[in-house]
Amino acid sequence: MIERKVPMNGAEQRVYIPLTDIYETGDLYSLKMEMPGIKKENLDIVIHENELRITAKRGSHEEKENVKYSEYSDRDYYRVFKIGYDVDRNRVDANLDKGVLTLKLYKSEEVKPKKISINQAN
Amino acid sequence: MYTYNLFDDMVKLRNVFDDFFTERRDHEGNTEFPPIRITEEDESITISAVMPGISAEDIDIQLVDNSLFIRGEKKEDYENHPYIRRERFFGGFKKSIKLPFRVNSGEIKADLSEGILKIRLTKSEEAKPKKIQIS
Repeated sequence: MIERKVPMNGAEQRVYIPLTDIYETGDLYSLKMEMPGIKKENLDIVIHENELRITAKRGSHEEKENVKYSEYSDRDYYRVFKIGYDVDRNRVDANLDKGVLTLKLYKSEEVKPKKISINQAN
Repeated sequence: MYTYNLFDDMVKLRNVFDDFFTERRDHEGNTEFPPIRITEEDESITISAVMPGISAEDIDIQLVDNSLFIRGEKKEDYENHPYIRRERFFGGFKKSIKLPFRVNSGEIKADLSEGILKIRLTKSEEAKPKKIQIS
């Protein structure tokens, strides 16, 4: 987790930027993002124009006065990725497991690698 | 109209320093992985450790005297494809936490959900708050 200030709703807010691994295959882009402490109902994944925006509300889990020592804070998560028009807006899979969000962004049919068959002329 | 104020520049400079010290990875610098939190209730204490992507079978928790040891391994989940970005880290980890008081070793509960490990320890009888009657 990296802590950073980002502009949000006109004000600056401190958030965690989730650490992310991304790989690409012929069919899709796969993202793995570390967002510990997030339940799926608090997670918001939006694709708007050429941006993929991930927001997650953390909320506090413990009574403040009971916390005696802490090496982390209950910040929200926020990260934006630029995506190209090769991503099919209607085919995105999301899965949240053990605090890791996996997103699969499928490429649209037009940009997938195609094998071209050669017609044999007689 | 804009009037130059020396203090504006000083505040800006202070923000540069503040950001430098807060914008770092949590596991760098003064804390070891995993980052933890200790909360105390009347009869128990709870230790939370942030460890996304780790399975329960890869974590080993031990109580020795009044120290708690968390050991484990975060296993790589790389796929055999070209990566565009690799920010997550993997590998073994080990952390020891000195408990502020003795705990009842028979009553320890650990639970792992949403990538956060919570270990609940019950205080030993001597460490529990006692009401003293005035005679």
